[in-house]
Amino acid sequence: MSEPALFLLLLGGPVLGAVLAAAIPGAPRTTRALVALLAAGSLAGALGLAARVVAGGVPTWGPEGLFRVDALSAVLAVCVAFVGALAMGLGPGGGHAAPGEGRRFRALASLFAATMLIAVTTGNVAVMWVAIEATTITSALLVPLHVSRASVEASWKYILIGSVGIALAFVGTVLAYFDFATVAGPQESALRWTVLMDAAPALHPAAMQLSFVFILVGYGTKAGLAPMHTWLPDAHAEAPAALSAMMSGVLLAVALYAIVRWKAVVALAVDGPVPDGLLMGLGVISLGVAALSLTGQRHYKRLLAYSSIEHTGLMCLGLALGPLGVFASMLHLVNHTAAKSMMFLLSGRILGRYRTADIREVSGLLRTMPVTGGLFAAGALALVGLPPGGLFLSKLALLRAGFATGHGWLMALVLALLAVAFVAVVAQLNRMLYGAARTDLPAGETERWALVPLAVCVLVLLVLGLVLPDPLEILLQDIVTMVER
Amino acid sequence: MNDAFAQLAMLGSSLVLITSFLLLWRRGTPAHVSALAIQSIALGATAGLVGYFADKHELYLVAVLLIALKGVGIPVLLHRMARRLGPARHVPPYVNTATSLLAGALLVLLAYVVMRPLVEASPLPTRAGMPLAMGVVFVSLFVIVSRRHALAQVIGFLMLENGIALLAVLGTYGIPLIVEIGVFLDAMMGFLVMQIVVYHIHQTFQSLDVEQLNRLRR
Amino acid sequence: MTAASGHVLAAAQALLCLAVAPGLIGLIRWLKARMQNRRGSPVWQPYLDLRKLLAKETVVSVNASWLFRLAPYVVFTSTAAVTFLLPVLAVPLPLDPVGDLLVVVYLLLLGTFFLALAGLDPGSAFGGMGASREMTVAALAEPSIAVAMFALALGAGSTNLGEIVARAMARPADAVSPGYLLAFTALFIVTLAETGRLPVDNPATHLELTMIHEAMVLEYSGRYLALIEWAAALKLLVFFTLLANLFVPWGVATTLGPGALLLAAVTYVAKLAVLAAAVAVFETRVAKLRLFRVPELLSVSFVLALLAITASFLSR
Repeated sequence: MSEPALFLLLLGGPVLGAVLAAAIPGAPRTTRALVALLAAGSLAGALGLAARVVAGGVPTWGPEGLFRVDALSAVLAVCVAFVGALAMGLGPGGGHAAPGEGRRFRALASLFAATMLIAVTTGNVAVMWVAIEATTITSALLVPLHVSRASVEASWKYILIGSVGIALAFVGTVLAYFDFATVAGPQESALRWTVLMDAAPALHPAAMQLSFVFILVGYGTKAGLAPMHTWLPDAHAEAPAALSAMMSGVLLAVALYAIVRWKAVVALAVDGPVPDGLLMGLGVISLGVAALSLTGQRHYKRLLAYSSIEHTGLMCLGLALGPLGVFASMLHLVNHTAAKSMMFLLSGRILGRYRTADIREVSGLLRTMPVTGGLFAAGALALVGLPPGGLFLSKLALLRAGFATGHGWLMALVLALLAVAFVAVVAQLNRMLYGAARTDLPAGETERWALVPLAVCVLVLLVLGLVLPDPLEILLQDIVTMVER
Repeated sequence: MNDAFAQLAMLGSSLVLITSFLLLWRRGTPAHVSALAIQSIALGATAGLVGYFADKHELYLVAVLLIALKGVGIPVLLHRMARRLGPARHVPPYVNTATSLLAGALLVLLAYVVMRPLVEASPLPTRAGMPLAMGVVFVSLFVIVSRRHALAQVIGFLMLENGIALLAVLGTYGIPLIVEIGVFLDAMMGFLVMQIVVYHIHQTFQSLDVEQLNRLRR
Repeated sequence: MTAASGHVLAAAQALLCLAVAPGLIGLIRWLKARMQNRRGSPVWQPYLDLRKLLAKETVVSVNASWLFRLAPYVVFTSTAAVTFLLPVLAVPLPLDPVGDLLVVVYLLLLGTFFLALAGLDPGSAFGGMGASREMTVAALAEPSIAVAMFALALGAGSTNLGEIVARAMARPADAVSPGYLLAFTALFIVTLAETGRLPVDNPATHLELTMIHEAMVLEYSGRYLALIEWAAALKLLVFFTLLANLFVPWGVATTLGPGALLLAAVTYVAKLAVLAAAVAVFETRVAKLRLFRVPELLSVSFVLALLAITASFLSR
């Protein structure tokens, strides 16, 4: 298949899906199947592009290299398309059917996926910014899928804090463009990553440093880094399961992608410890806030949300720890996407059965919903970093990178925080899995078909925990050479 | 010629900054909305001015868009919204007016400090206004965190965007047009979505005091 | 310019100010009346008032001390002294070495202080209330005057009034620079507060809940009241002169030729008229602020003054 066709498949799929879902009222079965099929096609497109990149190509499409997929874009595109396909396949409740809401969900969530895909595949800084801003718009309307006090509150915090964050990222972008225009004269091409990277060594360090602060705070807000994370637990807890899966699984990763891109530019322009120090600081603060909030958390979707903050913090930290750190961070991103999207989709199933998000009222999960409970346990254990889950390896690599770059004390702190998070999550997991099964609820699984794609996630985690597949390794190495040029 | 240009650009940016202080001082949504309208028009005029002196004719389009959209369109929508949602009980801000004003002045000083290296690096005659643009960004951020009224927060956000637009106009004579239009579309969509959520808030809470949105703490 | 003719000019300026001040008040009242669709009393009405008050008997409370009798003279002379220092028609003046911004500001403050003391002296309820309010406003207005003045002084490199005017005349484009505009706005707000105009105080009423200046001088009558009213008019004129000639010094004479002086006098009166019109429009448009919102207004003025300093200092 030609490259333009792959791009069309990747980006056109979700857009067409959105149009179909919006145009056909009532979300009949055929539409649902069609939208899911288009999302799967998008995944195929992503995989096809990734294969090109592995083979050494850099697929580009559109005028002036509007779309350009290198290793980093390819990894992110596959992640986004994967979670998108999962969400479209399972519907808003993660397999648990919620009548009447399917149409709005499919239309907006498809658009949401499309904006994220555009953000990671475009070669233009500003288009990326526009796309990431559009993710807020498309997803904010989905958080209050049912209007309630809690969901309205969550969506207000989400849209306000998210928009402000993104606006700050734009300040950073403008400052960087200002610097470029001052050094090299104003030109449209300055907004392309490749041109910006080439010009980076000549840029003013002070200006780029200021720009990076804004970019980090801005995109960091979107990535859920503490202390800008306050919207995240609310939005994740109140959104329908599939949207939570998309937000936690890939939206955070897309925001982090933007940070990685800019870090690569700034590292060339600024010769000092400030950018890395900022990344490390935000990473550790996020880790700390998340670990403390995880202890005693009574709401399982919020538990998962804080766990996302923890993992984003880890990835952010990894970016500051040299080549091995970047490698570990990106591997962690892939693992986290697989684990967290599955967990949120499973939480939708649990919520559908138990009708409560309070951990104290969910007991005997393994008896009431044996497969769901089993997958949930597997996912949670992978998330806290037990082998043979993929996150074990990536955390290990990250810690090794930290010790190798001489941040021994910091890594000790990180280990302690990870231990706190571990205990907190496992304690809550125990409470949910075991204990007396609720007698007022029917036992056994419904909609078993929905469990198959979720099991795939566990498989992915297992494989990534045991071996590092060659194509992935090539991609990750490419990313490291790009970031640490 | 360049002197007059610098002087006029500075004048325009000061006007934009002063209007963001109006938001800190005056009370009630109508006053805030007119502050936004005046600011957007001042910003549009500044953009047009830069377009004229710097011979960047696409800035005329930006100026027209700014004035039409944020100087007229959005204020009209906001006024209608304020009317529809009824005369709200006065919602006091978290920080009282006098303190807010002083904080705003300090934030402008901070903006001067952080923008110093950039101003020194720039060869453009408009560079002296850049700290003021950053001041608008900071003051608007302060408005967003220190006000309890949902519409005041929305207006603060719109002013934040104005500050960024001013920064782009003064620092680089505007970002490429296609990007500018993308940003505009986003801003408009973002505003519309915020509007929807504000209606939701009003329906569910019977008030626009965001202090009530505190069920989800923790 | 010879020293003698300079001194003559300074004296002439002061006399001019004394003569013009009541007319300024009359003009504002007349303009306001016109804007509110009233016919209004003629512009020269304040002169008639003054003449009548001067001729009337003075009634003094039995509780009042010598301070009460002394205060009107202090108030009047301190304000009148300021007019010798102002660059009204021409620069430089022989008194320029003492014609410092700070001297002007603190001479005016001296008057305010004595007026407040006199308000407290007879021990009446209204006098005390008015004095306390007046001091509150003065205490809040003082920092913004000082900061706004420094914004000007920074631009000129001197706090000397003559130097500031000379500098502003050398660079006329500065009149529209943000630093000047901000300082002008700050000083304008302070002018309204210090001279008891709307929205801080309403000069036209004796409403006990809101009055400031009128409450303070309620015990005065006859020639004392005349002096105080005249001093109040003079204070307004002083502030207007500062606003007009420091910020927009166009027309101020630099030589002592009759032509230049005539032109200066004409432009000066025109500028005063413009400011009077501005105040009249403003007073017609706004309502009086509640007393506890006055500090907010004055902090606006302070912030503007601070921004003025920032703009004229940091963006050089």
